[in-house]
Amino acid sequence: MEREIELRLVARLKAGDAAAFEAIYEAFRPRLFSFLARLTRRRDVAEDLLEETWLRLVTRAGDLSDDTRLGPWLFTVARNLFASWCRHRAVDEDRILDFALSWPGLLPRESPFESAARGETERRLEAALARLAPKDREILLLVAGEELSPSEAAAVLGLAPEAVRKRLQRARARLALEMDEEPDLVQEKVG
Amino acid sequence: MSEMRLRVHDADPVRVERIRSRCVAVLERRRREVEAHGSRAAAPRGWLEPAVAVGLCALYLAEAFARALAVFR
Repeated sequence: MEREIELRLVARLKAGDAAAFEAIYEAFRPRLFSFLARLTRRRDVAEDLLEETWLRLVTRAGDLSDDTRLGPWLFTVARNLFASWCRHRAVDEDRILDFALSWPGLLPRESPFESAARGETERRLEAALARLAPKDREILLLVAGEELSPSEAAAVLGLAPEAVRKRLQRARARLALEMDEEPDLVQEKVG
Repeated sequence: MSEMRLRVHDADPVRVERIRSRCVAVLERRRREVEAHGSRAAAPRGWLEPAVAVGLCALYLAEAFARALAVFR
């Protein structure tokens, strides 16, 4: 979203303009949902957190600063809600992989044709991401997936930019390892 | 990783609409509150301004009347 357009939308949203909300909602909703779904690995939870994120935006619209960057603002709220959800449910973020519901199998509602057409690289990437710890996953999703700058990601995660760079480096290395050790490929090699 | 392209998913369409309508309702309610607050704040001006204008006119007329009477006395 171009910065000028974004600033105008923020101003209109602050004034309670529903059309501005619609534009922001259409621009960011799928990205936010994808981010939350990949973090939680549960569609129902991702939808709940998505709803709460948008409600936070509209209830706090009047308090937004004029130069608010909507992307980082929304991802910060979504990420904080995810962290709260983990705490509330006494879920160890690093053990969330144990949930019986698997990612990405349940998330996309795609036709058999679409399933068949999914690229092998994409499938491996999703599978590898799903096996990463949430801390690694979130930073990869923000920087490599959403293309936030390291400083924007640092603001979202509440970290120093240097810490973000280190965490990103570690996450990239772990993802590369996971992709190398993708079960099907390992099975092929062993078989 | 810079070229990590992941499929973008979306919430259930029913849920998408529910979120939209809830948020729009919140915005509408807030806008009405702001407008109501604005009109309440503007309320004193609504009666004060005409009252001051009428008062000044009355003073002007009284003074003019008094001076006219003084001329004929």
